[in-house]
Amino acid sequence: MKELLANLTGVYGPSGKEDSIRSAIEKEIKDHVDEIRTDTMGNLIAVKKSTLSGDKPPVRVMTAAHMDQIGLIITNIDENGFLRFSNIGGVSPFNVINRRVVFENGITGTVSYETELENMKDLKLNKMYIDIGAANREEAEKQVSIGDVAVYYAPMAAAGNRYFGCAMDDRAGCAVLVQAIKTIKDSPNELIFVFTVQEEVGLRGAKTSAYSVNPAMAISLDVTLTGDTPKSRPMAVRLGAGPAVKIKDSSLICHPRVKNLMIDRAEEAGIPYQLEVLEAGGTDSGSIHLSREGVPSGVISIPCRYIHSAREMVDKNDLENAVKLLNSILENEIVL
Amino acid sequence: MKEFLAELLDLPGVSGYEEIIARRISDEFSKYCDEVQTDSFYNVYGIKRGTAPKDGSPAPKVMRAAHVDEVALMVRDVTEEGFLRFTNIGGVDQRILLSQEVTIHGREKLFGIISTIPPHIQEDGDSKTAVKMKDMCIDLGLPVEKVKALVRIGDLITFRSPLVSMAGSMVNGKSMDDRASVVMLVEVMKELDRLKYQAEVYATATVQEEVGTRGAIISTYRVEPDIGIAIDVTHGETPDAPRERTYAMNKGIVVAKGPNLHPGLTEKLLETAGEYGIDFQLNITSGPTGTDARSIQISRGGVPTVLVELPLRYMHTTVETLNLDHIKQGARLIALFIASLKEGWQEWLKY
Repeated sequence: MKELLANLTGVYGPSGKEDSIRSAIEKEIKDHVDEIRTDTMGNLIAVKKSTLSGDKPPVRVMTAAHMDQIGLIITNIDENGFLRFSNIGGVSPFNVINRRVVFENGITGTVSYETELENMKDLKLNKMYIDIGAANREEAEKQVSIGDVAVYYAPMAAAGNRYFGCAMDDRAGCAVLVQAIKTIKDSPNELIFVFTVQEEVGLRGAKTSAYSVNPAMAISLDVTLTGDTPKSRPMAVRLGAGPAVKIKDSSLICHPRVKNLMIDRAEEAGIPYQLEVLEAGGTDSGSIHLSREGVPSGVISIPCRYIHSAREMVDKNDLENAVKLLNSILENEIVL
Repeated sequence: MKEFLAELLDLPGVSGYEEIIARRISDEFSKYCDEVQTDSFYNVYGIKRGTAPKDGSPAPKVMRAAHVDEVALMVRDVTEEGFLRFTNIGGVDQRILLSQEVTIHGREKLFGIISTIPPHIQEDGDSKTAVKMKDMCIDLGLPVEKVKALVRIGDLITFRSPLVSMAGSMVNGKSMDDRASVVMLVEVMKELDRLKYQAEVYATATVQEEVGTRGAIISTYRVEPDIGIAIDVTHGETPDAPRERTYAMNKGIVVAKGPNLHPGLTEKLLETAGEYGIDFQLNITSGPTGTDARSIQISRGGVPTVLVELPLRYMHTTVETLNLDHIKQGARLIALFIASLKEGWQEWLKY
């Protein structure tokens, strides 16, 4: 799991430019699924067929994790070769100060800000720039163009069971899903695994993929906040205390039957879990559950500290237990 | 009518957890409908089929919608002392919360109060600032072990505030928004039984409106109506509220006008009111309304939609106040409007 996570968090893939990360994931799973395709939005959709035979159609379950990560998109290059940028997804100015970032072509830069600013509270992204070491505009334009997107350059590190790195949101979810695909036993359900695009800019890949997949039930895997750091916003989720069964966030109220199914499976299998009430934020299930006539949906969340920073932190046990929980749900017959 | 409303107010129906109230509504709908359906999110559909046009032309499919869910609270954490921390589901005004009586829907139903510090022992200046919801807690009067055994994170908390009759036809209680309109859905069915109409009429009791008109999104997709009629509440006038955003409590129901609503169809609705002498007030609304109409209008290829509203005071509190006469008046208007949809109704929808 550690190696897989280090690999996936190191691949470039901001919203709208998910080609590299999609190829990396496809390579991991293609030998373990019955069908695999990429749709027009760039969602990677893999199928594991049901073992049921006979007239009764199997229950089609969609499981989703988003491949995209937040990024900085270049809007202007000035005469001295500094790059101005806007955000792709939720980028906080304070999280990117003096951070190293990398473009798809491997060019790296440092993010900094106009230091004449009197009050740091007034820091906005439009007072910031990326320095790629270019002497002037001409030199900069040889390496980077307007519209190019940079992401954090932050290879994963480990301290015991804790993994730090960028893009744990949501490569941690992708890693859990990849691991589940590799380890899952035969299932009576028709399993559709979707690695979605553009979650960070409005749950957009999930919307189209849910429409085309048309599932009877859906589960997303994504990271969630924790309330276990000094004077954090109060929340009952802790790092390392197990995957969290989401109850609600701003994008959805998980369907009671799906939520209860997750809790029942965790209890039966003796998998540690937590219950998550998230007061802000959303995830792919927010889009999926409103597809067509409605899709009962839930979320398995991976506790994560410092979300949207270059040093997001997750716990190995939470990841492994998330795989177990997901497998125990998907391997058994689902009656909603 | 009042009894049914009182019964609805007492049933829990927090956004996302509407199964119990959906069952009661389904029972009520079946008394007046040809068919009743419930979907996997507990939207309830009552279907009444009119007499098809004699010339064989298609009758319109009309969907009326009113939401059943209520704003409420949810357990966020249980403290070491056995008090509950909570968050809101839907728009709850935190200033009204202190000392409210609540029901916690745990492993069993529990009584609780939102605790406060009495004025005597408050620190200087405390009474001048509003307490934030994140700092409030609920007291169940139970020892911590018992609380932990009965309550878990995510359990729902509803307000206790049954229907109270005031002077004349005024009533108050919790979740009048939008159970009063659900009652109106039923009243429309009764009115329709006295009229001749051609339409296939769906009454949809929608879920999850308070968290983003989510039930309307999926139910409208399912029904695929030709015409939508949303029914919700709007603000009743009080001495301190802005005139231009509030409506009289005794001057008739409110009909909304604006880009969210179909202009031709809204005109027809107002003509119907004029023809039958039904009083109405106009709500000029500049963008997507905060009602199911916002989602009904843009379902699939688009649904021409109108919006009828009941003036209601003290919205999203436990003493939501309205005039029962408005429910009757609104029901009559909507039923007459549906009955007026005859051969050539498609012309009304043209620009």
